[in-house]
Amino acid sequence: MIKVDGLTFHAGGFRVREVSLDIAKGEYFVLLGPNGSGKTLLIKCLCGLIRSAAGSIVIDGEDVTHLKPRLRNIGYVPQDYRLFPHMDVARNVTFALRMHGMSHRHALEEIAPLVEMLRLRPLLDRSPIGLSGGEHQKVALARALALRPKLLLLDEPVSALDDPTRRDVCAELRRVQREFQIATIHVCHSFEEAVMVSDRAGVMFNGRLVQTGTVHTLLRQPSNETVARLLHVENIFSGRATHLDGGNSRIDFAGHRITISQRCEGDIRFVVRPELLRVSPQGAAGADCIQAELLRIDDLGSYARRELEAGVRIVAYTNPDTISRRFQMGRRYAVEFPPDAIHVLSE
Amino acid sequence: MTDDSNGATAIAGPRVNLLSVVTIGFMAVFIIGVLVLLLTGLSYTDYQSIAEVLGSKPIRAAFRLSAVTSAATLGLVVVFAVPVGYALSRYRFPGHVVADTIVDLPIVLPPLVIGVSLLGFFKTPLGQFIESPRGLNLQFVYTTRGIILCQFLVSASYGIRAAKAAFDGVDRRLEDLALTLGCTRMQAFRKVALPLARNGIVAGAIMAWARAVGVFGPLMIFAGAVRMKTEVMPTTIFLELSIGRVEVAIAVAIAMLTMAAIALILIHSLAPGRRWWGV
Repeated sequence: MIKVDGLTFHAGGFRVREVSLDIAKGEYFVLLGPNGSGKTLLIKCLCGLIRSAAGSIVIDGEDVTHLKPRLRNIGYVPQDYRLFPHMDVARNVTFALRMHGMSHRHALEEIAPLVEMLRLRPLLDRSPIGLSGGEHQKVALARALALRPKLLLLDEPVSALDDPTRRDVCAELRRVQREFQIATIHVCHSFEEAVMVSDRAGVMFNGRLVQTGTVHTLLRQPSNETVARLLHVENIFSGRATHLDGGNSRIDFAGHRITISQRCEGDIRFVVRPELLRVSPQGAAGADCIQAELLRIDDLGSYARRELEAGVRIVAYTNPDTISRRFQMGRRYAVEFPPDAIHVLSE
Repeated sequence: MTDDSNGATAIAGPRVNLLSVVTIGFMAVFIIGVLVLLLTGLSYTDYQSIAEVLGSKPIRAAFRLSAVTSAATLGLVVVFAVPVGYALSRYRFPGHVVADTIVDLPIVLPPLVIGVSLLGFFKTPLGQFIESPRGLNLQFVYTTRGIILCQFLVSASYGIRAAKAAFDGVDRRLEDLALTLGCTRMQAFRKVALPLARNGIVAGAIMAWARAVGVFGPLMIFAGAVRMKTEVMPTTIFLELSIGRVEVAIAVAIAMLTMAAIALILIHSLAPGRRWWGV
């Protein structure tokens, strides 16, 4: 169990403030956020390369906040892997064990299962120079895991890889992480990557951890507009809410009126999930519908993205097969807003 | 591009092109210039003079003293250059720029000034305390120790400068990473930074050694040119010239060059994967 409580620190002119986070044993946590949000600094602080000004880091009941990096038992895979170029792959992987007094030969025996698991055997005698990106990544992972750490920190571990390799490596990371049952924090700024590997995710912005939850929670119920925009949530609108009887509310926005099954009052910002919007020539009877003009359709492979204009720009996702046959650009269609498609932002 | 074991890269592709012709052409001109200089020197001497040099006891002693003092200086330079170069590369402290500049000063100072300054220093109370039998009892003026001190002061800057550049070239994040893998700062230095900076440090040591072997001016002032005592090869050349024996002086210079060439080839071939014939 990893417990980070109120962690605050400075690095250069940047300040990371009051980060609190619990990660269970064997949990895969993805830390999302834009460049410069403090993700990498947080990772460095967790592994002891940056001193904390306040707060605590507790790993399995032991407070490691003020311990030196070598005593924290944390595995760290940096963004560019940083294999030691003057050592072959075997010496890279056995480095931590050798630094703990083990001979190279014994260390090789110790890491044999890890080498098999990551299929590194053919690479052991090779120099890191000339390894592919995926091979670099696996060697760096093996090096970080050699000491069987209690927490594994992966700083953008697949950002340098091409798409197919990235998917393969993400699957590999998940497999190895499950095998080791090791608490893992994986930093990235790709939501797709988070979907592939995470049990839970968090969003950092401007030095703060602003929301944590499953990736689906983050996507469907972002806590605020910042999170919504970071996750590229479409359909963020402003409106005025009026509380109705029975726990429902009415929202007036851009000259339209819809009903949601939430209690809210006053000026609000809300998001509408594009995949739950229904677009049809007439609209279903009794549903909250908005008449909108179809501006464009983009076939994105697994889904089609439709953009409509109704005083505000509305985006709807749908099955790509049927779109081009049934819809014409420039015509007006009914856009149906199911109440569960709408989420009011809290801040 | 292909890597050799030094981390240097050789350009792949056709060997004859404008760039290779121009760069190798400049190199050829320089090498021919040096060889012409040597051959011209050779024309001033003869076998008899070379035989005299090889058979002369004082000259053999000077040769031996040059080898011993320059080797000692080389060791001292490495001992200082590695930590000083690392400190200048890795740490930022008040006065860093001043320290960085002072390290370079001996390079730009006329070597004679170093000799005069040393002589002046050993006339100060601290200098006299160092030399006095009632103090540290370490004689420097007109001694072998003085030769090493002169050579060190003249050549150390080259070693330090090269070591700093070598450590600058080592990504310090590799050392940080080593900390997370169980290293202390000192282990990270020994296991990561030092091996990666090794080639640059060796190159700096070669330059420093070459400079130390050729030191003459400050030695004449601080260590003197006492035959069989403080006479090294540059002073032998001067002494022989001063009595008009140009051919012997040149024969000594050739012997000195031969020693330097052998030493340089040996040091270069110490680099992993390199052989003395340079392939």
